[in-house]
Amino acid sequence: MFRPRALENIRVVDFSWVRAGPWATRWLGAFGAEIIKIEWPENERGRLPSTTTPQNLEVNLNTSGNFNDTNVNKKSLSLNVRSAKGLEIVKRLIAISDIVLENFSSRVLQKWGLSYRELCKIKPDIVYVSMSGYGHTGRHHHYTTFGPVAQAVSGLTYLSGLPDKPPAGWGWSYMDDTGGMYGAMCALTGLYHRNTTGRGQHIDLSQMVSSVPLNGPALMDFTVNGRGSRRAGYPPGNRTHWPGTPLVNNYRGPTVAPHNAYRTHPGEYNDWCVIVCHSDEEWQRLAQVMGAPSWTTSPKFATVIGRLQHQEELDEHIEAWSMTVGKYELTERCQAAGVRALPVQSAEDRVEHDPQLRHREMYLPMEHPALGLHKVQNAPFKLSGTPASNHLPSPLIGQHTREIVEGLLGYTHEELRAGFADGTFWPTKRARFPYMEEMLR
Amino acid sequence: MSDAQPLPGPLTGLRILELADETGQFCGKLLGDLGADVVKIEPPGGEPCRHVGPFLDDIPDPERSLSFWHYNTSKRGVTLNLQTADGRRLFGHLAATSDVILETFPPGFLGSLRLNYEALREKNARLIMCALTPFGQTGPWRDYASSDLLHMAAGGEVASSGYDEADVPNAPPIAPGGGNAWHMGCHFAYMAIMAALVYRTVAGRGQYIDASIHEACALTTEAAVANYIYRGEVLRRQTGRHHAPGPTPRTQFRAKDGTYVCALVAGRLNPKYVRELADLLDSYGMAGDLKDPKYQEPAVIAANTSHIIDDLVANFIASLRAEEVYHSAQARGFTWGAVRTPEALIDDAHLHDRGFWKEVEHPELGRNFIYPGEAAIYNGSPWRISRRAPLIGEHNAEILCDELGLSRSELSILAENRVI
Repeated sequence: MFRPRALENIRVVDFSWVRAGPWATRWLGAFGAEIIKIEWPENERGRLPSTTTPQNLEVNLNTSGNFNDTNVNKKSLSLNVRSAKGLEIVKRLIAISDIVLENFSSRVLQKWGLSYRELCKIKPDIVYVSMSGYGHTGRHHHYTTFGPVAQAVSGLTYLSGLPDKPPAGWGWSYMDDTGGMYGAMCALTGLYHRNTTGRGQHIDLSQMVSSVPLNGPALMDFTVNGRGSRRAGYPPGNRTHWPGTPLVNNYRGPTVAPHNAYRTHPGEYNDWCVIVCHSDEEWQRLAQVMGAPSWTTSPKFATVIGRLQHQEELDEHIEAWSMTVGKYELTERCQAAGVRALPVQSAEDRVEHDPQLRHREMYLPMEHPALGLHKVQNAPFKLSGTPASNHLPSPLIGQHTREIVEGLLGYTHEELRAGFADGTFWPTKRARFPYMEEMLR
Repeated sequence: MSDAQPLPGPLTGLRILELADETGQFCGKLLGDLGADVVKIEPPGGEPCRHVGPFLDDIPDPERSLSFWHYNTSKRGVTLNLQTADGRRLFGHLAATSDVILETFPPGFLGSLRLNYEALREKNARLIMCALTPFGQTGPWRDYASSDLLHMAAGGEVASSGYDEADVPNAPPIAPGGGNAWHMGCHFAYMAIMAALVYRTVAGRGQYIDASIHEACALTTEAAVANYIYRGEVLRRQTGRHHAPGPTPRTQFRAKDGTYVCALVAGRLNPKYVRELADLLDSYGMAGDLKDPKYQEPAVIAANTSHIIDDLVANFIASLRAEEVYHSAQARGFTWGAVRTPEALIDDAHLHDRGFWKEVEHPELGRNFIYPGEAAIYNGSPWRISRRAPLIGEHNAEILCDELGLSRSELSILAENRVI
């Protein structure tokens, strides 16, 4: 069935690399925008180094699995933008595009002669989204980030861990994922504004700054109540409160117990579940699911204050039970009784064992010319009129150079060949992939 | 606010009806702070998440929840009991003139009141409706109960975060705090709503969006899923740094003041980096043997990685305050940062340069408070907090009488009958 796409006829010039920027344009592509990824093999850090190339394949520019998942729905133009000729070509592309998105350090595009002012001369209503570590505005604009540094400086890392231990932090670049979200959100917002007013703009996004509002209640506890996060019992691990410390809200929701991760059968590395009771009723239901052992009838566990006070003992009892049950069975038994419980899931669990994600078709296979057939992550929303979709595998580097240079920009085939010969479309001293030879015939 | 005629935000002119609990209120804030007229529809007495602390001066009260304040800026508030015929009628009037409805009710709830998208669309073909729910509108877990911790567990965040055995023996996996499962769902919901709004500017039609928080969380662990899909690897948790298939060098170091520094060194140790690192350490007299020319040999660097990281870098950081390490290193081009508490950001000069902190008036209290500001600066249509979170039913008269045309006496009757 034919379904229109939300961003039909929208073209994005995508200078982004590594993770956060490409994660932004991946979603614009899923909505149907034409994403033209400007790449250069000498300084490509999204493709190489690769730690996600299948064991049976050579590691090269086209075999990173994570690159593939991060860059579906895009086309690739290999172009040396640092050459005068390359710059001229990219300007021609910008003139017929709607959005320019990049995640370089704060002054890079300006140095190339592509400041917002210059972009406006090329395309007056361009929506320009810059995604730099600290933004283009402010004294530390030249500071650099990766996800972990943005998370550290913004306070996010500090919110994760056990009291009196080093921060556990986030075991991945949460702010590359989330920075990517903001990149896409900014681009869509700017596009909506352009469509309704006719005006483009520069949206100056900062990865570090975008992390800060995510600490809202903790920040407000300080700006309003003067209470900082550096205090006894904070952060309280998976709990809402650490026994023996002042009873203060921990910014995750209501202060309740039980609220923790518990080991499950058979006790392997990821055999854990989480259980939360938001009320006495939910606690009584959990007691029933556990078989109503006598300890659950103790008055000290009957009230939320009692359960918080005796949390160590409570959690020991619960874990003694949870270790006898598998995490999926535990989940089903608890949820059937109206008790909040879910398994701790590894990536393997999500892809292979999660019945909900399977039902929702979260991971569907897609063929990639170098990687073969692999599952790709789908969108977490279903739009009835214009569904998001994965319709193109990630591009091989420079795969669409001819299509874009000749087909879209109107250069001749001879000009394409000349550009390959003079290093505009590929470094002259670097071996070309077979598909490049093919496009030069 | 010095501008005589401030530019309107990018979403000015849009009306959003928000029927959202703690899972979706952040999405309404994202829309409202960018200029949309977000009308928050609460049950009579207010949303239950008004009862989540911390509270102003630690006095529990539905009008004093700082969590509610933060997540509900730039919204107007009405109360409406959708379980009554009058409540449904008024909601239908509002829906007929709105652009977006954001709702977080259990799947099927609005349908049971005949307020589902199909019914509402009949009077407003441009209407966009986004249902943001824990698991989406379909599937075996559709009706499961959830919480922030539960989503972080099932989504994969917990399996990726925790401690090295040497740091905390026998540690559980850790769910990062702050309510971020809700943020993940709301970011994706915002994105879907905006895509539908952009499409509507072209096609003139609205549509229905079924968004899932579980799926949003499952998408937010960077390369963990790719590591599994392409290499079959299941990643291990490590203190304050990336999950990995096997142990990797630490990146979090204790500073002199007892706080920590995130210093990304491992994986970057080439001769140029080592030279620059030696210069940084040497500026504090802490270079040790790192200036020895032997360290310009990649093989020597590789053989001494542990010495460089665990001795030289660790000792350097241990000798200084975290903030000093952070700024000295960044000034020399190192991607390092202090692990700060949220409150440490209040004095951050860079944030001040960006005008990040906003003073928001609470007229009913006669006080102003400082709120966090914008992720991005829109140079043509600024972000702003247009008002503090609404009081319970604060705009009932303004919206139901002045805009929908009810008389004041009708409003009184509706209040007596617990419709509002």
